Amino acid sequence: MSEPPLVDVRGLSRTFDVSKPWLNRVLEGDERRLLKAVQDVSFTIERRETFALVGESGSGKSTVAKMVVGLLQPTDGSVTIDGVDMWKGSAAGDIKALRRRIQMIFQDPYASLNPRWRVGRIIADPIRAFGLAKGKAEIEHRTGELLRLVGLDPLDARKYPHEFSGGQRQRICIARALSSKPQFLVCDEPTSALDVSVQAQILNLMRDLQDQFGLTYLFISHNLAVVRHMAARIGVMYLGRLVEIAPAGALFSAPQHPYSRMLLDAVPDLKMSGRPRKMIEGEIPNPIRPPPGCAFHPRCPLATDQCRSEVPLPLAFQGRTVACHEAGAGRI
Amino acid sequence: MEIDAGDEDGSAAADDTGFLARVRDNDLLHSFLRNRLVVVAAAVTLTFVLLSVLAPWIAPHDPYDVRTLSLLDSHTPPAWEQGGDPRFLLGTDDQGRDILSTILFGARISIAIGILSVLLAMGIGVSLGLIAGYFGGPADTVIMRIADVQLTFPAILTALLIDGVARVMLGAHQSAGGEFWILVVAIGLSYWVQYARTVRGVTLVERNKEYVQAARLIGLGPFKIMFAQVLPNVMSPVLVIATINLALAVLTEATLSFLGVGLPPTEPSLGTLIRIGNNFLMSGEYWIVIFPGIALAALVLAVNLVGDWLRDALNPKLR
Amino acid sequence: MTRPVLSVRGLRVEFPTRKGVLVAVDDISFDIAEGEVLGVVGESGAGKSMTGSAVIGLIEPPGRIAGGEVRLDGRRIDNLPYEEMRRIRGRRIGMIFQDPLTSLNPLYRIGDQIVETIRAHAPVGEKAARQRAIALLGDVGIQGAEARIDSYPHQFSGGMRQRVVIALALAADPELVIADEPTTALDVSIQAQIIQLLKRLCRERGTAVMLITHDMGVIAETADRVAVMYAGRIAEIGPVRDVVQSPHHPYTKGLMGSIPTLDANAPRLMQIPGAMPRLNAIPKGCAFHPRCMEALGRCWQDRPEPAAIGRSEVACWLTAGAVAGAGR
Repeated sequence: MSEPPLVDVRGLSRTFDVSKPWLNRVLEGDERRLLKAVQDVSFTIERRETFALVGESGSGKSTVAKMVVGLLQPTDGSVTIDGVDMWKGSAAGDIKALRRRIQMIFQDPYASLNPRWRVGRIIADPIRAFGLAKGKAEIEHRTGELLRLVGLDPLDARKYPHEFSGGQRQRICIARALSSKPQFLVCDEPTSALDVSVQAQILNLMRDLQDQFGLTYLFISHNLAVVRHMAARIGVMYLGRLVEIAPAGALFSAPQHPYSRMLLDAVPDLKMSGRPRKMIEGEIPNPIRPPPGCAFHPRCPLATDQCRSEVPLPLAFQGRTVACHEAGAGRI
Repeated sequence: MEIDAGDEDGSAAADDTGFLARVRDNDLLHSFLRNRLVVVAAAVTLTFVLLSVLAPWIAPHDPYDVRTLSLLDSHTPPAWEQGGDPRFLLGTDDQGRDILSTILFGARISIAIGILSVLLAMGIGVSLGLIAGYFGGPADTVIMRIADVQLTFPAILTALLIDGVARVMLGAHQSAGGEFWILVVAIGLSYWVQYARTVRGVTLVERNKEYVQAARLIGLGPFKIMFAQVLPNVMSPVLVIATINLALAVLTEATLSFLGVGLPPTEPSLGTLIRIGNNFLMSGEYWIVIFPGIALAALVLAVNLVGDWLRDALNPKLR
Repeated sequence: MTRPVLSVRGLRVEFPTRKGVLVAVDDISFDIAEGEVLGVVGESGAGKSMTGSAVIGLIEPPGRIAGGEVRLDGRRIDNLPYEEMRRIRGRRIGMIFQDPLTSLNPLYRIGDQIVETIRAHAPVGEKAARQRAIALLGDVGIQGAEARIDSYPHQFSGGMRQRVVIALALAADPELVIADEPTTALDVSIQAQIIQLLKRLCRERGTAVMLITHDMGVIAETADRVAVMYAGRIAEIGPVRDVVQSPHHPYTKGLMGSIPTLDANAPRLMQIPGAMPRLNAIPKGCAFHPRCMEALGRCWQDRPEPAAIGRSEVACWLTAGAVAGAGR
C-alpha cells in the first residue's frame, strides 16, 4: 500500500459526566458518575474504502462517529485525517480546509433537514459557508446539479422538506453532504429509519456515488446485513470498546470474538437454512457500571477467571485485530 | 453510471400518523372558519385595531384639542337618554370631551403600548431563551434563575416597581411622551419570562436535532445557528404566547393607569378613562366609566379568544 | 378442518377527511388457526398496523370499519359495543406493542398489573392469581420472578419489559395475541431472544398470533404463514417458506431482493423504484402497477383479486394469467 490511510484514529476515548447537578450531589451524598462511552478505540480507513462500525445500543459507535467528524471533542486520543490532527496541534486554516472535505449523513431524515428552510437553501448552506460558488445563479445551478445527482428534480429545490418521503429526504441529505465536494463521508445509521425497499435505493445510491467520486465512508450501523453489503472492513464494538476488526468476508465466515459470533447468530435467517445458532444470553450491562475485566464476560460462554479480571488488549491475529483472551485458542 | 429516478412526487411514502398529522396541520384556515366564536373575536380585534389606527380621522371630535372643548358640553348623558346630545353619542365627561372619541383615542394608546411592550418582551425573552437553551451551562443557569426569581412576583408588581424606578430616575426631565415609553418598558420587562422559558425548552430539543449538527459541521457559529436555523422553528409557540400576552399587556397598562401610575389624564388610555370615570360612578354618570370599561373588556376578551384558538390550533400539546 | 380462531373477511377501514374518504385497509381477508402465527408484513403506509387495530377495535376516530367482518371463534366482534369489546381485549385477545411502556402503567408494580389482569378474567383469589403471575414471569424468562414481581416497570431493561408485556398479554390465557412490531425497539441480540420466547409460549399454549412487523427476518423466524401488504391490500398470502423463498407477486419479489443478506456481497441490491403511495393517491387498478417492472395493460385498469397459486394466494394479473393459461 503506497498511500497512507486517509483516516487514522488512535486511542480514542470519550467520557461523559452523567452525575446529578452539583447541589443534588452534595445534598444527597451522591458520587460523581462517569460514563465511559468510548474507550481506547483505534482503527484506520484507507482511501476509497468503506469501513463499518457495528454494535448494539450503548456500544459507543455513534460517539466515535461524532468525534471523527469533529462534532464532539475526545477526552483522549487523536483523529488524524489526511495528515491533519482534527483536535489538536493543527492550524485553524488546515482545520477549516479539512471541514469542507468531511461530511456526515444522519440517521433521522426528518430531524436532519430544517423544516422551515426550502430544500434549495438547505443544500446551498455548505456551498455558501465554504464559498464554493459565487452569485445566486451559480449556486442555483450547483444545487440543481446535486439534486439530479441524487435522483431528484432540480425544481424540488423550491419545496419544503415535509413535502418529501423519508427516502427522498435522505437523498436531500446526501445532496447536502456532497455539496461541499467532500472526500470522506461519515454515515451514522443512514438507512435504519427507512423501509427496506427504500433502504435498497439509498444503499445503491451511496455505492454509485462512492464509485463516481472516489469517496471514503465510515459507515455506522446496527444491522449486520447492511454492513456486510456496504463495507470492506468491519469493526465490532461492545460497550465502548472495539472487540474485533476484520475484513468483511473473514468476519462473516469465521468471527474470532465470541461477541461477533453471537451477533452473527442473532441475525434472522432469511434463507431458513436452519443453520445452528447460539443465542446470546442476558442483556447489555449498564455502561455506567460495566463489568470488570472483559465487559462481555457475563454473557460469554467461554469466560475464564482471566476474563473476569483483566481487560483483553487488541491483538493482531491472522490479518485482523481481536480483543479476547481466548482468541486463537480454537474455542470460538 | 446509473442512478435511479427519485420517488415519484405525490406517491411518496407516508406513515399513517404522519399523514393524519399533516391533514390536521394543513387545516389552520379550516379550523378558523369552523369556529364561529373565533371568527367574531378576530373581527372584533381587527375592528379595534383599525378604529384606533384611524382614530384621528374617524373620531367625531378631537378630545385633545382644547379649543374645541366646551365646559358647557360637560356631563352630557348618552344621546338616547334624556338630555342627551346627538353630537355626543356616548355622552361627555366632566371636561366636555366626547366619550366615544376618547375611547377611540384611548384604545389607540392602549393597543400601541400593548404591541410595543409585547415586541420588547418577545425580543428579550426569545433572545435569552435561545442563548440559555443553546449554550446551556452557566449562561442557562444565570438566565433561568433570574427568570425564576421574577416569576415569584406577580407581573403587575414587577411592572409597578420598574415604573416607579423609571419615574424616579427620569425625575423632573419627564417629557410629554415619557410616561408612554416608561409603560412600554415596564410592561415589556415584566413579561419576558414566559417567552424565555418556552423558547429555551424548544431550543433544547432543536439543538440536538441533526440539522443543527449539520450546520455545526460546516463551521457555522453559534449565533448564526441560533438565529438562522433554530429561531424559525421556535416561532409558532412564540406567536401563541405573544397573542395571549397582548391581552395581558393591555390589561396591565389599564391597571397601572387605573392605579394612577400610568398615563396622565391629558393623554388618556382606556385605563386612565376608567379611573377618571370611576369618580363619577356614584353621581349616576355611569357612561363615563362603563363605556371605556366595556371597550377594554371586549378588546381583551377578543384577543384572548384568538390567542386560545391559535394555541390549540398550532400546538395541541401546549395546553 | 377446524374453525379458525380469527377470521377476517372483506375488512375495509376508512378515514373520512374534508378532501374525501381515505381507504387505509381495502377489502382484505385472512384466517388464523389455533396455535398458528400469521405474519403481517409491509412497509410503512401499507395498512398493517391499521389491520391490527381494526381487529381489536382500536381505530382512532374519525377512522372506522366501513365494511367486512371480524370473527373471533366464529362470533362477530367488529360490531360490538365499546364496553363489550373492552372485555374481549386483554381477556380473549392479548396485545403486545412496540414500546413496552405503552402497555405497562409506570405507577403500578408489574405483579399487580398481571394479577389484576388474571383476576379480571378468571375467578381466582388474590393468592392464587399471584402464584400464577409468578409462574408466568418465570415462563417469560424473568429470573427470580418471586423477588422481581413487586418491581416497577422502570426497574427493568427494555428487553425485560417486553418480556413482562408478553406475560401480561398471556395472563388471561387469550385465544389470540396481536403483536405489533414487538421487537422493533430492541437490540439485535435481545430481539432474537424475544422472538424465540413469543414463538415457544404461543406454541405451548395453542395461542393464535397475528405478528405485525416490517422486518422480513422476524417473519421468517417466527411465522407459519405470512401476508404481504401493499397500499391497504394483501398482495400475497401463504406459507412463510413459499412466500420467502419463491414469491409470486412482483412486490414480494422486489421486497425480498432488496433485503441485504449476510452471505452474498453483491455490488447492488435489487430495488423497487419509487415508494409506497400515499393514501390520498392510491393508483387505479393494481396499486403496485406504477412501480412494477412487468405491469400489463390491464394492471392499469382492473384491480386483481387474490387467487390461489399452490398453497398461496396472490393478487396479481401476471400470475392469474399464468394459472388460467396453464389450466386451459
